[in-house]
Amino acid sequence: MGFLNYVVWLPLAVGVACFLVPRRVAPWLALAGALAVLGLAIGLVVDFEAGVAGIQHSVDESWIPELGVRYQLGVDGISIFLILLAALLWAGATAFSALRGEPGDPARSRLYYFLLGLGETATVGAFMAQDLLLFVLFFDLMLIPFFFLIGAFGGANRIAATTKMIVYTLVGSLLMLVGAIATAILVSQETGELSFALADLRENLLAAGSQEWIFCFFAAAFLVKMPAFPIHGWLPDAYRAAPLPVLVLLSAVLSKVGAYGFLRIALPLYPDAAVTFQEAILVIGVASVLYGSVMAFTQTNVRLIAGYSSIAQLGFITLGIFALRPDGADGAVLHMVNHGLVVAPLFLIIAILFARTGTEDLREMGGMATRAPVLAALFLVVTMATLAIPGSANFIGEFYILNGLFQEKVVYAVVASAGIVIAAFYALRLYQRTMHNRLPEGMVSRELSLREAAVLAPLVACIVALALWPGLILERGEASVEESLAAVEPTQVAER
Amino acid sequence: MDASTFGWLVLAFPLAGSLLIALAWRALPGRTAGVIGTTAIGLAFAASIGMLLELLGEPAEERQIASALWQYADAAGIDIEAGILVDPLSVFMCLVVTGVSTLIHLYSTAYMASDRGYARFFSYLNFFVFSMLLLVLAGNFVFLIIGWAFVGFASYALISFWYRRNTATTAGMKAFVINVAGDVAMVIAAFLLIRDLGTVDYLEVFAGAEEAFSVNSGTIVAVCCLLLGGAFAKSAQVPLHTWLPDAMEGPTPVSALIHAATMVTAGVYLIARMFPLYELAPTAADIAAFVGLATLLIAATIALAVTDLKRIIAYSTMSQIGYMVVGVSIGAYSAGLFHLMTHAFFKALLFMAAGSVIAAMANRQNVDLMGGFRRAMPLTSALLVVGALALAAFPGTSGFFSKDEIMAFATERGGMYLIFTIGGYVGAFLTAIYAFRIGFRVVAGEPCREARELEQGHLVHAEPENPATGEAEDTDVGFPGPEHHIAERAWPMAAAMAVLGLGALFGGLVQVPGVTHVIDEFLAGTFDPSPLFHVEPSVGAEWLGLAIGAVISLAGIAVAWYGWVARRNDVTLRLIDRLPAVHRFLFNKWYFDEIQDALVYRPAIAIGQFSSAVFERYVVDGLVSGTVGVVRGAGVVVRGSQSGFVRAYALLLLGGLLALALYFLIVSS
Amino acid sequence: MAVEWYLVLSSLLFATGAAGLLIRRNPLVILLCLELMLNAGNLALLAFARSLGDMDGQIFALVVMVVAACEVVIGLGLIVAMYRRRLPLNVDDMRGLRG
Repeated sequence: MGFLNYVVWLPLAVGVACFLVPRRVAPWLALAGALAVLGLAIGLVVDFEAGVAGIQHSVDESWIPELGVRYQLGVDGISIFLILLAALLWAGATAFSALRGEPGDPARSRLYYFLLGLGETATVGAFMAQDLLLFVLFFDLMLIPFFFLIGAFGGANRIAATTKMIVYTLVGSLLMLVGAIATAILVSQETGELSFALADLRENLLAAGSQEWIFCFFAAAFLVKMPAFPIHGWLPDAYRAAPLPVLVLLSAVLSKVGAYGFLRIALPLYPDAAVTFQEAILVIGVASVLYGSVMAFTQTNVRLIAGYSSIAQLGFITLGIFALRPDGADGAVLHMVNHGLVVAPLFLIIAILFARTGTEDLREMGGMATRAPVLAALFLVVTMATLAIPGSANFIGEFYILNGLFQEKVVYAVVASAGIVIAAFYALRLYQRTMHNRLPEGMVSRELSLREAAVLAPLVACIVALALWPGLILERGEASVEESLAAVEPTQVAER
Repeated sequence: MDASTFGWLVLAFPLAGSLLIALAWRALPGRTAGVIGTTAIGLAFAASIGMLLELLGEPAEERQIASALWQYADAAGIDIEAGILVDPLSVFMCLVVTGVSTLIHLYSTAYMASDRGYARFFSYLNFFVFSMLLLVLAGNFVFLIIGWAFVGFASYALISFWYRRNTATTAGMKAFVINVAGDVAMVIAAFLLIRDLGTVDYLEVFAGAEEAFSVNSGTIVAVCCLLLGGAFAKSAQVPLHTWLPDAMEGPTPVSALIHAATMVTAGVYLIARMFPLYELAPTAADIAAFVGLATLLIAATIALAVTDLKRIIAYSTMSQIGYMVVGVSIGAYSAGLFHLMTHAFFKALLFMAAGSVIAAMANRQNVDLMGGFRRAMPLTSALLVVGALALAAFPGTSGFFSKDEIMAFATERGGMYLIFTIGGYVGAFLTAIYAFRIGFRVVAGEPCREARELEQGHLVHAEPENPATGEAEDTDVGFPGPEHHIAERAWPMAAAMAVLGLGALFGGLVQVPGVTHVIDEFLAGTFDPSPLFHVEPSVGAEWLGLAIGAVISLAGIAVAWYGWVARRNDVTLRLIDRLPAVHRFLFNKWYFDEIQDALVYRPAIAIGQFSSAVFERYVVDGLVSGTVGVVRGAGVVVRGSQSGFVRAYALLLLGGLLALALYFLIVSS
Repeated sequence: MAVEWYLVLSSLLFATGAAGLLIRRNPLVILLCLELMLNAGNLALLAFARSLGDMDGQIFALVVMVVAACEVVIGLGLIVAMYRRRLPLNVDDMRGLRG
């Protein structure tokens, strides 16, 4: 019954426990905790019943009855693999931090691991929440640890970067809060009973007029979080300033919460508005794909290349969701996991390269493959997955997404597919300029250490495994995605 | 074992070889990696023969066997199986691919012996063959695209194999990106098929296509044209061919593999495999044929002008692939595939011989510097001439029968298709000239310095330098270092070349008009439903075509002899002087690279730089500074009340209390 | 006796306290005035409790007394600390919270 509670709160409990143990032990305790959460998440996936729509493992407690807020958790085919992804990457980031002795200042290491734990609790909670207000709460809670992680442990210019990020996301969050409260109140005027439970709200949809403005509020919050063009202004600064293990989580997991929010909240609760704004969001998606890709191949900072490529990939995910068809949305669910799995090792590799070259500028790098064949091989796999080479799960994700979009809006699909070609270019450019060509004077190519390999290799193994059987996610996501789109489709069929 | 089990084995051996070498490379001593790699491909060849025998055991109409290992993805109405299709066409391709690849692997065990990346090379090489076999055996469009892209990846890895060379890495990237563009076109074609047929499985698509599409309807023409995009990118057809000559940056065995067995023939295979669709879309088929014709002529003219030995052969590949594309597009399926097979033999041979010559030249590739190797390298010279003879379609060689069969078919279809006959013969004339430009420049004439030294038994050593830029090579990561290997001194190279030499000479005898029909009969299992497959020129017409071909071939060789042997290159020099504009145009490869650069690459870079310099700063950042401004302004207003005087706070508190009390009083009264 | 008189007394006490709070600058006096206001509230609570015959008001008054005791402890502690540091005993000089 309360299984989900353990998954949500264990990371925070471990984070608090970090304050109670000696400083040297804190990283290892955090790592043990993260691995335990990963184990629980794997158990959750194993236990998951495929091909069934609806919530499983539900937890439902009364919380603030006066406001109709319930403490309601659950997983379904959309969230299950995102939870696994979060647990996996948190374990990876924690392991990477612990093994490399992050943060540099050991006096603050307890705080660092506590914040990581808090972040995991908030993120997993957001993926599990089945109550609108609970979701908003977890969504905003995510911001706090990351604010401090970047602000306190980041690189140069971190204060300005965090401020910018907070301003952006807070504006989105506040709009979302307003939207959530408005939804519940407007629905309660119809039904006479105030409830924030998603299940209740889904049964009593709002009138099209109110749906539209509330949808816009939610869309703003989610698009900022992803981020999408042109509201990605916080991304370059935050990506430059964040410590790399934190950046892994920021880029790989947190960005997914935005896309997830569309599937969990925006489409089921505001289906009419989703149809109304479909074109607008598709334009944003296509623009994100093209703009992100083009920016990625002109940048010289390796973090920003990965960052802008994330904008492009999340653009694909947006397109998949707003194809408003099960195949597109199912592909989007797969692609969320794919992107997380790919971008995480990418940032870890950037950290590993930085340790060898002392720079993050592409123009000053080169020839790193010379004495590091294992690193080169792992990086090559990641690069190929990044550019979604057919045969990778990323390709199947994009295949489903673009197929869904193609059947719905041919032009968008064809234009967006140009992004795939540019992706090939920027991903290879990143790989070549770092690993190939001549080794610059004074740089030494060094093989992966055992500790680095211990984190990187399992992640790459996950990429390869998923490439062999992307059906794992697609087949489990299908029923839930159809449920999430159920309210959208009839209106569309009527329109045709 | 049935045919499909053999099919899976064909895939399993190269993949296993690649993984084994990749994982165990540190533990493999000496040339073990090469032995493992060669054995793996040899076993795949054996399994292909097993597949062939099993298939021949079946009745002719049951020679299409589909098999799936697992459900790759099955959701939201798209069902993708990890499946293969074993039929005469795929078996034919497997035999050619694995057979020629085995020999290339064998050659490489010696040729690459002193390279530091020996194990890496064989791991890539095995993966390349695996990808090509996956492409050929795939039973649905998704796995076709997967094999297609893996081939692109493997070619990237091998072209930029010497990754310290800037030119090599750039060339690899170019090959990959152009191929991805082709992949995307194929993916969109798959979307169209899913839309109208709801499936990606070959057999279901072919079965359903005839009912779903009328002849030359818009969708089917679009599908076929999009597939052509993929085919042209992979097969280096105009205008997507620019990567192919640059791909010569890779080691010579890689060039042999790309040009003979894997990769560039994929486009020809694709058109042949999709024949039910192309016969529904004759417009698209005609477009393909015309592009093939253009390519074969353009490439032949360029091959007359460039001076890099490997690039001459590369352009000749483009030109020969042009013949095959014309063949399979106009319906001469068995002729096109026959030419694919003979071309694999003589092109692999030519590259191997060229590799041997280049090794003797201490890695210099300019034909103008070469000459007179006939005494220094008798074996290499002889086999080079054999390859050139087959390429020039000298009467009796393999190229002679296969090339002319395509032209005979075009004549038989008549009408517009006569253009292909005429164009084909013009191309054949040019082919004969450049084939023997290679032959005569290398073999005949005064021995160059390297050849003279080699006659004394001394192989020239030189610091390797990049033939494109002239800068010294970085031999630290592997480069066929100061050690070079020539066929005369390494038995694996000699053996591989000798086998291919036999193939190039006698491979054509399997299909002599009026005498033997081995390929025709075998491929009938795949192409039987096609009406075009049963169009057959009469034996007399074929022999007439062969006679014309023989005359043209001999004329071309005579011209080459006149130009480069009898008059010692004077003629060509005077021609260059007389027609500088034409020479410059050809030497610069019709300026295709420059056009691509100006139309695609530069605009993209410019947009990117504009975005990051202007848009990002003013618009995107403007948004955030606007938000910050609003928040800050509101803050200034609120801050005014925070005076820090405790008593002021108290006053505010009391004032608030009073106001509340007043409010309730008013409300209650 | 009618409850009104108690309330009038309570309001007078409260007004006295509030006025003192606003006028005086010595923190000790301000603390006294706060105490006055709290007790004015207590008086009102007790008066209502008596007149309504409900014990809740009395209990509440007890709670207020506890709070007042805590407040006095902290307030006096602060004042003693200020005195020890020889800071001026003037609330207007302490503006560290100015925005």
